Amino acid sequence: MAFIVFFILILFMACMESAIPYLVKRSVIFGVSVPESHVRDKEFLRFKKTYSMIVAAVSAIALIFFFFWYNQTNPGEEMMVLIGTSIQFGIIILSLALYFFYHGKTVQRKKTEKWGENVKQVKTADLSARVQDEMLPWSVFLLPMFITIGVLIYTIMKYPVLPEQIPTHWGINGKPDAFTAKNPVSAIQMPLILLVMQAMMMAMNLSQKRSGIKVSAVNLKGTRTRQLALRKYSSWFTFVMSVLLTMLFSFFQLSTIHENLAGDAVMFALPMVFMLIVLAGTIIFAVKVGTADNKPADVQAEGIGDYDEDDYWKGGLFYFNKSDPSIFVEKRFGVGWTLNFANPIGYMIILVPIIIILALSYL
Amino acid sequence: MIIRIEPQSDIPIYTQLSNQIIEGIARGNLVPGDSLPSVRAFAADLGVNMHTVSKSYHQLEKKGIIRIVPKSGAIIRSTDEVSIEGPYDERFIEACKPVIAEALVVGLTREQIEALVSRVIDDFKGKT
Repeated sequence: MAFIVFFILILFMACMESAIPYLVKRSVIFGVSVPESHVRDKEFLRFKKTYSMIVAAVSAIALIFFFFWYNQTNPGEEMMVLIGTSIQFGIIILSLALYFFYHGKTVQRKKTEKWGENVKQVKTADLSARVQDEMLPWSVFLLPMFITIGVLIYTIMKYPVLPEQIPTHWGINGKPDAFTAKNPVSAIQMPLILLVMQAMMMAMNLSQKRSGIKVSAVNLKGTRTRQLALRKYSSWFTFVMSVLLTMLFSFFQLSTIHENLAGDAVMFALPMVFMLIVLAGTIIFAVKVGTADNKPADVQAEGIGDYDEDDYWKGGLFYFNKSDPSIFVEKRFGVGWTLNFANPIGYMIILVPIIIILALSYL
Repeated sequence: MIIRIEPQSDIPIYTQLSNQIIEGIARGNLVPGDSLPSVRAFAADLGVNMHTVSKSYHQLEKKGIIRIVPKSGAIIRSTDEVSIEGPYDERFIEACKPVIAEALVVGLTREQIEALVSRVIDDFKGKT
C-alpha cells in the first residue's frame, strides 16, 4: 500500500518536472528573460524538448525498475521508502542539473547575440488590472479556522475521556502508530498545529494579494492574463488546501476522542483521497496558469523591451530585489509564486509558522 | 490605463510617473473621480521603491491635481478644483522657455512653433 503511494507520487513528480518548460511564462527560457522575437527560436524549442525527454525517460526507467524490484524482491517497508525517496530526490536533482545546464547555454546565447542592445528598456504597470483581480479576500480563510477552534474547544471539553496515549502519527493504513502521553498541551497539539498552518495560508494569500501585478510592455495582454490567472487560481487552491487539511486533521482529532469513529476502510481511504484530490488540484492549477499566456504576443510598439530583471534573479531561480515592495513574485522556472528574498516579511511568513510548529511538537 | 517608465532615462522615475499621470488625465484616460492605486500596490506593480511612487503622488498633490487618500491611494481632482490652486501661467512660461528658445535657435518660425503646439494639444484631445 505504501508502495502504491510512492509510485503515484513519483509518477506525478516525473510528469510535472518534464512538463515544466512548457508551463513557464512565455518570455523566460530556463530562468533567462528572452525577447518575444526569439522566444520560439528553434534552439530554445530544442532545449525544452531535450530537457523534457531526458527527465521523462530517466523517470520512466526509474519507475519501471522500482516496480519490478518491489515485486521481485518484496522488500520491507523501510527499504521501499528509502529507495522510493531516493528516486524522488534523484528526479529533482536531475531536473535541477539539466535546468542549470540549459540556463547556462541560454545566458551564453543572450550575451553573444546582445539582444538588449538597441531596445529602450521600460517598466510597465496597468492601473486597471487590480479591478479585474479575482483573488479571495483574506477573511475567507478565517472560516476553516473557526472550525478548528470548534474542534479545539470540543477536545478540551472531552479531555477527561481522552485515552492516556494520544496518537501523534498515523501510518499508511490510517491507524495511529506513534503516541505521546496525555497532557493539556499534547491533547490539543494537532488542532493548534492546524491553526498555525491555516494562519500561514491566510498570510500567504494576503501578501500575494499585496504583491505586484507584473505586466510586460511588449506582451501586455498575455502577461496580464497570466498574472490574473496565477493570482486567482493560487488563491483558490490555497483555500481548498486549507479546507481539505482542516477536514483531514479534524477527522483524526475526532477519531482520537471517539475511538471507533470510523471503520478501518474509512481510516485508510481518507488520506489517500486527500492525496489524490491535492495532486489533481495541483495539475489543474499548473495547466490553467501554465497555458494562460500561450498566444503569441501582439507586439504593441517596436524598439522597446521590458526592463531586464535577470540581475535580480540569482541563478534564474531566486528573486532578490530590495526596491520591489512585493513579498511574492511569479516563479521563473515553474508555476506559482516564489519569495522576494530581499523582503524580510517573506521570511517571517515561512519561518515563524515552522518554528511554532516545531515548538508545539517538541515541548 | 497603462503607465510606462524608462529606468535608464535622465528624467527621475517619480517625475516620469507624474508626467504620465498628468498626460493620462489630459488624454481623458483618467477622469476626475478616478482613483489611483495605493503607493504600495503601484510600487509593487512597477517593481520600484515605494518612496518613488510616494514622491510622485506628493508632487501631484502639491500641484493640486490629485488628493492623496491615506492607505488606499489617491483621487483625481476635477478641473474646477485644480484651477483654484493658483496662477499656473508662470510655471507654464518657465517650463516652455527652454523648449521655445531652442526651437527659435534651430530656425522654426512663430507660426511653425504655434502649429506644433496645436498638434500636441490635438493629440491629447484625440483629434489626430
